[in-house]
Amino acid sequence: MKEIPKTEARCSCPYCAATFDAFETLKAHIIAEHKSQPVPAPEGLIGLTINNENHAVFVEPGWTLQHVLHDRLGMTGAKLFCDQGVCGACTVIMDGRPVLSCMTLAIECDGKHIETVEGIAAEDHPLIEQYVKHSAMQCGYCTPGFVVTAKALLDQNPNPTLDEIREALAGNLCRCGTYPQHPKAVMEAAKDLERAREDVTRKNVTQKNVN
Amino acid sequence: MKKFVHMNAMTIDEATATLGRYGDRASVIAGGTDLLGKMKAEILPTYPEALVNLKTIPGLDFIKEENGLLKIGALTRLADIASHPVIQRRYAALAEAAHRTASPNIRVMGTLGGNLCQDIRCWYYRNPHNRFPCLRKGGGRCYAIRGDNRYHSIFGGSVEEGCYAVHPSDTAPALIALNAKIKTSKRIVGIQDFFKVQVRKTTILDPDEIVTEIHVPAPKEGTRNCFLKFAVRKTIDFAIVNCAAMVSCKKGIVHAAGICLNAVHINPYRAVKAEDFLIGKEINDENLDAAAVAGVSGAKPLSHNGYMVQIAKTLIKRAVLACKPHEPTA
Amino acid sequence: MSPEKMSPKKMSTDEHSKMTELFDNLRSDKYPLKDFHHIGKRGVHRLDGYEKAAGKAIYTMDVQLPGMLYLRFLTSPYPHAEIKSMDTSRAASLPGVRAILRYDDPELPSRAEVTGLSTAEVPVLPKIAHFQGEEVGAAVVADSENIAAQALRLIKVEWEQRPFILDPVAAMGAEAPLANPEDYPDTNIAMENVVNKGDVEKGWREADRIIEFKSVRSHHTWIGPEAPCGVFRWNGAYPEVWVKHQRPHLTKRVISTWFGGIPMNRIQMHCLYQGASFGGWNTLNWSMGGHYCAAVLARRTGKPVKWTFTRREDFFGGSMDEGVCHFKVGAKSDGTITAVKATAVIANTVFPLGPLDHFIENTRIPNLFAKNTTVMINKGPNTAVRCEQNLNAQSLTLVFAHVADALDLDPIDVALKNDGAEGRDTAWLNQQKAELGFEVRDSLKECIEKGKAAIDWDAKWHPPGTKKLDNGRMHGMGFNWTHEWDDSGGSSEMAIRIERNDGTATILGMRPDNGVSAETAYCQIAADEIGMRFEDVFYNPQFDPGFFAMTPDGSTNLSINGFAVRHAARQLKQKILEAATAPRAVTQRGGFPPAFPDLTPEDLDIKESVIYVKSDPSNRMSLAEFVGLSGFRGPMTDIELSLEGAVSEEKPCFSPPLFAEGYHVQTGAYIHVRLKFCRQAHFMEVEVDTETGEVLITKVVNVNDVGKVINWDGCEGQQYGGTYMGIGRGKSEEVIHDPVTGVMLNGNLLDYKIATMLDADAIETRLVETGLGYGPYGAVGIGEDIATVVPALVGPAVYNAIGMWIDDFPITPDKVLDALERK
Repeated sequence: MKEIPKTEARCSCPYCAATFDAFETLKAHIIAEHKSQPVPAPEGLIGLTINNENHAVFVEPGWTLQHVLHDRLGMTGAKLFCDQGVCGACTVIMDGRPVLSCMTLAIECDGKHIETVEGIAAEDHPLIEQYVKHSAMQCGYCTPGFVVTAKALLDQNPNPTLDEIREALAGNLCRCGTYPQHPKAVMEAAKDLERAREDVTRKNVTQKNVN
Repeated sequence: MKKFVHMNAMTIDEATATLGRYGDRASVIAGGTDLLGKMKAEILPTYPEALVNLKTIPGLDFIKEENGLLKIGALTRLADIASHPVIQRRYAALAEAAHRTASPNIRVMGTLGGNLCQDIRCWYYRNPHNRFPCLRKGGGRCYAIRGDNRYHSIFGGSVEEGCYAVHPSDTAPALIALNAKIKTSKRIVGIQDFFKVQVRKTTILDPDEIVTEIHVPAPKEGTRNCFLKFAVRKTIDFAIVNCAAMVSCKKGIVHAAGICLNAVHINPYRAVKAEDFLIGKEINDENLDAAAVAGVSGAKPLSHNGYMVQIAKTLIKRAVLACKPHEPTA
Repeated sequence: MSPEKMSPKKMSTDEHSKMTELFDNLRSDKYPLKDFHHIGKRGVHRLDGYEKAAGKAIYTMDVQLPGMLYLRFLTSPYPHAEIKSMDTSRAASLPGVRAILRYDDPELPSRAEVTGLSTAEVPVLPKIAHFQGEEVGAAVVADSENIAAQALRLIKVEWEQRPFILDPVAAMGAEAPLANPEDYPDTNIAMENVVNKGDVEKGWREADRIIEFKSVRSHHTWIGPEAPCGVFRWNGAYPEVWVKHQRPHLTKRVISTWFGGIPMNRIQMHCLYQGASFGGWNTLNWSMGGHYCAAVLARRTGKPVKWTFTRREDFFGGSMDEGVCHFKVGAKSDGTITAVKATAVIANTVFPLGPLDHFIENTRIPNLFAKNTTVMINKGPNTAVRCEQNLNAQSLTLVFAHVADALDLDPIDVALKNDGAEGRDTAWLNQQKAELGFEVRDSLKECIEKGKAAIDWDAKWHPPGTKKLDNGRMHGMGFNWTHEWDDSGGSSEMAIRIERNDGTATILGMRPDNGVSAETAYCQIAADEIGMRFEDVFYNPQFDPGFFAMTPDGSTNLSINGFAVRHAARQLKQKILEAATAPRAVTQRGGFPPAFPDLTPEDLDIKESVIYVKSDPSNRMSLAEFVGLSGFRGPMTDIELSLEGAVSEEKPCFSPPLFAEGYHVQTGAYIHVRLKFCRQAHFMEVEVDTETGEVLITKVVNVNDVGKVINWDGCEGQQYGGTYMGIGRGKSEEVIHDPVTGVMLNGNLLDYKIATMLDADAIETRLVETGLGYGPYGAVGIGEDIATVVPALVGPAVYNAIGMWIDDFPITPDKVLDALERK
C-alpha cells in the first residue's frame, strides 16, 4: 500500500456528530476539541513520508527504520554495515537531519518525513554526479550513506568549507578508504547548486527586466 | 532483538506512571543509540518488556537562559547543544563535550539526558549474548581484572568494589565541572550525586523517574571552562580519558576549580586533590604538573591500563591551562 | 558466389600473435598500442559510479526473493570445544522457524568441498569449534533473521570444553595444549618453511655492524562492509545461487561437486556488486559452508534461503602476519647490507610466505636466511588479507629503517644502495631489463625523486627524536619502499561481442566487482583496441556467460584480464574488418554484397565506432549501420521483402555475428619466475604527542611505478584507499581476545578501529610510468600493495619522532608512552 487513502466523502465526528468535508479537518477538530486521537491507529501501523510519497506500513516494535526501508519497502540504499550506529552506511534524512536508520525504531517514526538516497538521486541532485566524477567510491557499499549525510549538510550549509565537510562526514566509515575524494565531490556539488541558484536569480531578474 | 511492547508517552506523568507499573521491566528510550545497541547484541540476562518513548513528550527539547541558569531539556540533541552560540561562548566545556561525543549523525540522535544516563562501557559487560555474566549484571565476578583491561578503571572498582567498567559520557564531566543540577520528574539533585552505578543501574534514578532538565549555573566573571577528550580515533570513539575543568582566577591566582575526569572510573571521577592543590596558586607549569600528579594520586591501574594514568595527568594539566585567563594585552 | 570468396582472408602468423601473444608474459609487451584515446586519459567516467552513488547498486545482502527464508548459524561460545549433545526441540517449535540443520543430520556428508582456496574437503557443519565464534553445530532457517537469531538462543548444547591456546609463541611450547588435534594431532607446529640463500655467516663477517631486533604484529582482519552472505534457490532440480565471493568461478565448481554432482551448465550464478572483502573470507576453507547448508535447507523447505553473518561473525579470521619475527642484520658502514636472518612464528597461516621474499626479489643482499614457523592457535584462520605479503613488506620496512638508523644514514640512501634483485645489483638488473625488451629506467630512483619533492624530504628529514614543533609535539618522517605487486598466478577468459542494432560492444566474463573500477579499465582497453568510443563499450560482470575473468586476487586483475580483453578486442576488430570486406551472405533470393566492396581488411580501420577506408576517410560506415537492425525476420536482419519478392537494395542490413574471445594465463610469478622491475616508495610525516602517546599522521605521499596507467582514478583510489587501510592497521587495528576465556572482545566496528576520514590529514599520490611491467602496455597491478606496505611505515615515522623503536603493531598510545618511559 503506497498512498494513505484520502477520504473524499463527508466525515462526522464520533464524539459530537459534527460533519466535515475532509478527514484532515475532522482529525484536527477531534484533537482540538476532544483532546483525543481521532481514530486509534491499529497497533503497529505507521505513516511515513518517504521522498515525498506517503507510505503506511505495519511494523513490529523491534523493527528498525533501516529494516523497514531496506527489507519492507525495497529501498536498498540504506545499507547495513556495522549494525550499531558506528558507520553511517544506513543514514537517512529525517525531518531535515541525518540519522542512522539502523538505530532508529520504525515505530517511533510515525508521521516523519524521510529522505533516502533514492530520493536524492530522483531529484538529480548534483552530489550524485560529483560523486561519480570524483570516483568517490570503490566497492560502493557505504557510498549512499556518505551521499545522504552530505545532502543533509548542504541543505543546512550551502557553502561549507572543506573542514566543515570533513567534520560532517566524520561518522561515515569507508573500509576501501575513499575518504579524500568525498570533500572534493561535496564541494563541487555545493558550487553546482550555487550556480543553479544564481541562474534562477538571473532568470528572474531578466524576467523582471523584460516585464 | 527480543520482543517488547512499545509505547509513546505523551506526558511526563504518563511516562513515569507506565514505568511505575512495569517496575524495572521497562526502559525509557530517547535517542536510543545506547539502548538499541545493547538490545541488539543481547548483552543482558533480561530484557525490557516495554520501551517507553520519551521523544513524544512535548516540551523537553529546549535551550534557554533563565534566572542565571542555562536550562537544557533532557531531550535536547547533542548536536544542538554543540552548535548553540551561548553554550559555545559561556559553557565551552559543555559545547565541546557535546561536539566530541561519538559522530555527527549520532549527535543528531543522541540527547543530553540519554548521554548522562547511558550505560557503562566494558567489553566483557557488553559482549554479545550475555557471554560474561558479570558483577554488573548481578552475576559472579569482574572478568576485566584478570583479562584485557586496557580501557578499564584506573581508580579501582565499584558495585561492591568489583566492577572495573568505566563511565563513558563526555558531557557528564563537563556538567560536573560546571556544577550543574539535574532536574528529574521527582527532584533536583546536584550532578555530583547523580551517578551511582549499581547492578542494572547507572544513576540514582528510581525505576519510575526520568530526567527532565539540566540546569547549569552561569559561570562567574573571571571563570573559564573547557573540555578535552583523548580517544584512539578523532571521531566515533568513546574517550580513553576525558577531562573537563572550570577555573576561576583573580589576579592570576586560582580561587575556585572544578576538574572532572571520565572514562577512568565507573562513575565520573572528580579530581578533588588537583582542585585543592590549585586553590590559591598561580597557573604555571610547575603547579600544573603538581596538580596533575595530585589529581591521579588515587590511581590504582590494572595490568593493561597504566598508560591511562599518564593521559589523565596530561588532560588535567591541559584542561586547567586552557582555563588560564588571557594575559591582559598591553 | 564461390566458397573461397566467402571465406575471410587468413591472418598471417605475426598478425595472429599480435592478437594472442600466447602467454609470453616473461618479457615486455611486444605489441603495444601506439595511440591511446581512452587508456591513461583522465576524466574517464567510471561505469559503476551512478549505480553506487545513487544507491541503486544491488549487493547479495540486498537480495530478497518471494518466500525467502533466512539462515543463521549457531556459533561457539568457547575457543575450543566439542558438542557432546544438542537439543534443538525448543528452537524448532518457535513460531516462524522452518527448519533446523544439525551437525548430525543424515543428509550431511562428513566432509565436503566448501572451500574458497583449495579442493580440500572439510566438515560442512562441524561439531568441534577451534575458535570462539566459529559456526558450528546448527543452522536455523526462519521467516526472518530475528526469528532465526532467537531460535539459536533456544538451542541447548552440552559442550565439552577443551584447553586452548591463543599465543603463537607459547603454542610452540612442549606443555601447550593442542589447538587443533583434528588436523594437527601431534604438535601445534603446522609447517616450517626455510629459505637459505648465500651464506649469512659470511655476511656477518663482512659487516661493520650487526643489528638485532624483534617485531610483533597483533591479530588484525579484513572487515568487508557487506558481511559474508549468500542466497541459494533450487530452480526445480537445479540451483540458482547468489554469491558474495571473490572467486565466482570457484564457487560454481564447488557447487557442482555437491549432492552427487550437478552439471556445470545447470548452475545459474549471480555475482552482484561485492561489498568488498579484501581477500580474507573468500580464501578460507569454509567460505562455501554457508551455501552448502543453505542448499540443503532450501531443498528441504522448498524456499529460497539467504544465509548471513552478523557483523560480529565477519570477524572470522585474520591476516597471515600475526606473530613474532626476530631479525639479525649485518651491514657495512656505507649502508650496504651484507646479510639478513629472520625467524618468524606466525599464527594460523593458510599458506606461509616470507619474511624475506622481498629481499630476494628486491635487493642485492646476497646472504639471506628465513624461517617461517606456522603455529596453530585457537583463533580464526589467518589468510591473505590485502594481502599475503604483509609479513614481507613489514620485514623490508623495518630492516631498512633499523639499518639506516644504526649507521646514521638517510634511509633513502640505504634503499638506493641495496636496490637490485636476486642478490645482484641494479647494473645487472638493468641488463635484464634491456634483454627482455624494456626501456632501461631506474624505477626506484624515479619514485624517490617524486616522493622526496612531494613531501619535501631534504628539508624535513632529521635525526631521530630531535625535532620538537611549536605545538609541543615531536615531528617524525618515515620512508619505505618495495617492488611492484604483480606477483601471483591467474587466468582469465573473456570475450567481446558487438550488439545488434546499435553496434555497441559488450565485454563478457563473470567476475566480482569489488570497486577497483577494473570494469571501466577493461572498457578503456577494448575501446582503444577496437577503435570505439568509450561510451559504446560496456561491461557488466555480474552474470555468467559460461566463462570467468580473473578475480581481484593477487593484484593481477589488470595484467591478466587486460591481456584477455586486448586479445579479444584485437581479434574482434579483425573479424569486423574481414566481415566488412566480405560478401555478407547469400540467401534464396540473392546475395548481400560486402559493405566495403573490392577492399581488403588492411584497407580499413575503425575510429570512434566508425569503419572507414584509410585512403578515403569519407568512405565510412558506423558499426551501428554495419550490424544493422534486428527485426521481424529474426535477430540478424531487418530486411523486408518487397511485394515482388525482391530483396530491398536500399539498406542491405545484415552481418555475421561479431564475437571474439581472448584468454590469458599467468602461471605464478613469485620468486625466481620473473624479475620485478617496478618499485614503489612511501613517505609519512607524523607528529607525536609525548604526553599522551597520540600519533597524528599529517601527511602521506605514495609513489607507485605502475608501468603504465590505464585508469587514473582506479590507481589513485588504490593509493589513498590503501593508505587509509594501512594507517588503521599500523595505528589501531587489532582483534583482541580475552586471555582467560579466549572470547573475542572487540568484534564490532566501535572497538575494532578502522581508520576514519579524520585519521590522516593529507594524502598525496604520485604515479610513475616507466613501462617496466609485464602486463599489457607495460602495466602492473596496484590493488593490494599500498595497504600492505603502509602499515609498517608508521614504525619508522614514529621512531624518527621520538627516537625509540616500537616494533610492535599496531602502534597504540600505550606503546608510545611505554617507549618514552623506557627512554
